[in-house]
Amino acid sequence: MQGDLTLQELDRDGAIHEAFDGVNSRASFLRNAVIGSGALLGVLAAPRESDAASPSDNAILNFALTLEYLQAAFYTETERAHAIGAELARVPRQLGSVERAHVFALRKVLGRAAVKRPSFDFKGVTEDQVKFLKTAVAFEDLGAAAYKGQATRVDSPALLAAAVAIHSVEARHAAWMRYLAGFTPAGRAFDEPKKELEVRRIVASTHFIAARPRTTRRRKPRFTG
Amino acid sequence: MLIYRVLWTSSCTNLYFAIQRCLLMPDDLRLDVFDSAALSEPGLNESRGTFLRRAFAGGGAILAGGAVIAGLPRSADSAPSPAQDAEILNLALLLEYMESAFFTEASFSGKLTGELLEFAQIVRGHERAHVEFLRSALGTKARKEPKFDFGDATKDPKAFTSAAVRLQDLIVAAYNGQATNLTTGALESAAKIVSVEARHAGWIRAIAQENPAPDATDTPKTAAQVTAAVNRTNFVSSD
Repeated sequence: MQGDLTLQELDRDGAIHEAFDGVNSRASFLRNAVIGSGALLGVLAAPRESDAASPSDNAILNFALTLEYLQAAFYTETERAHAIGAELARVPRQLGSVERAHVFALRKVLGRAAVKRPSFDFKGVTEDQVKFLKTAVAFEDLGAAAYKGQATRVDSPALLAAAVAIHSVEARHAAWMRYLAGFTPAGRAFDEPKKELEVRRIVASTHFIAARPRTTRRRKPRFTG
Repeated sequence: MLIYRVLWTSSCTNLYFAIQRCLLMPDDLRLDVFDSAALSEPGLNESRGTFLRRAFAGGGAILAGGAVIAGLPRSADSAPSPAQDAEILNLALLLEYMESAFFTEASFSGKLTGELLEFAQIVRGHERAHVEFLRSALGTKARKEPKFDFGDATKDPKAFTSAAVRLQDLIVAAYNGQATNLTTGALESAAKIVSVEARHAGWIRAIAQENPAPDATDTPKTAAQVTAAVNRTNFVSSD
C-alpha cells in the first residue's frame, strides 16, 4: 500500500539540520528515522505552487510550526539530558522524532515563509522526570486543542487532511503522557478546541520561549525629502 | 516528493458482485503513487469537496458474518453538503453504536478487572455520549442500531484488549478520512469526537504495552475501507 518515507528521502535540502542545528549529533538517527504514514507528511512536504497556499493557511501553518518547534525542542532536550528513568527513556526519544518530523514537514511546506525556530529555556523541566511528564501532558493537550481549533479554518483540503492526521496523533500522545503521569487519559466525551490567541497566551505564560521568532528582516528607516 | 492519490476502483454497486469481490479484496481501493505535479492539477486543489472525492468511496453492500452492512451511496461523490454530512455521520454512528455496545457489554461481563475495567467503564460513557450526539444531529435520518455479537471479545481480557485497540484505531482513521468531505459545522463536531477516540486508542495501547502512537500521522481510511474493516470484525450479527 504505502511506502514509508524516511527523513533521508524528505530531507533533500537539509532543512532538518537547519531547524535543529543544535542536534547535529543525532543527524544519522534523524535521517534514518522512518516517518510513519509518510503519505500525509509527503503531501504536507510536497513543494507547492506559490499561489497554492492562501495567506490564511500560511498563518495557520506558522502557528502550528511554533507549537511543533516547542514540542520538538522539549523532547529533544529531554532526551539529551538523560534524566529520565530507563523504562521511560524511549518516551522523549519517540515523541522527539515524531515532533521533529512535524516540524520538518511544516517548514518544508512553508518554505521561506516559515517562522524561525525561537530559542527555548525549559527551566529545568527537561531534567526532572515528574516535571517532564506534567509538561508533556500540558503540551500534548494543548497541541491537540490547537490543531482542533484550526481545522475548520484551513482552506486547502490537502492541508486539512494532513492537519487532522497530526491532530489525532497529538491526542494519542496526550493520552499516553497522561497515562504515564497517572492522570485520566480521556476525561471527557468531547474535546474542546482552543483558539490561536488562547494557545499563544498559554505558551507565553510558560516563558519557555526565550526569544521571539522574527518573520521579517528589520529594515532601516527610510527618510525622504 | 510523492503524494498518494486514492483511486476508487470499480464499484460494489451490485450486491452479488460486491460480495464476491469484497470477500476476495476487502479494501476495494488502490493507492497509486503520483508525482507531486499532481498536486497542482485542477481538481486536487479546488475545494474541500473535490479533494479526495475518489477516496470518499463505497457503494453497495458487503457481507459480514451473516449481516450485510451497506456502504455509502455513490451520490456522496460530491462537494460537502448537509446530505453528504448525513451519510458520513451515519457511518460514524455505526462505529459509535458498535463501540458503545462493545464497551457496555465488556463493562458488565464481570471478566475485566483493574485498569482494563476502568478503561471499559470510562470509554463506554464516552461512546454512549457520541451515539446520543450523532443520533440527535441526524434526527430522523439516523440509522438504526444493528445487533452485535462480540463473542469472547467482551469476556476474555486478552481478546478484549486486542479488539479495543483495533476498534479505536479504526474509528480514528474513519473520522480522519472524512474530514475533507464534511461541511464546516460537521467537521467542527467530528473534530471534538475524533481526538477523544484517539485518546482511547492511545490509552488502550498504553495498557496493552503497545506503542500508543506508532506513526507521525494517523493514516486515514476511506468509507469503503471502514465498511470493509467493520465487516471483517464479524461483530455485526444483523443489520
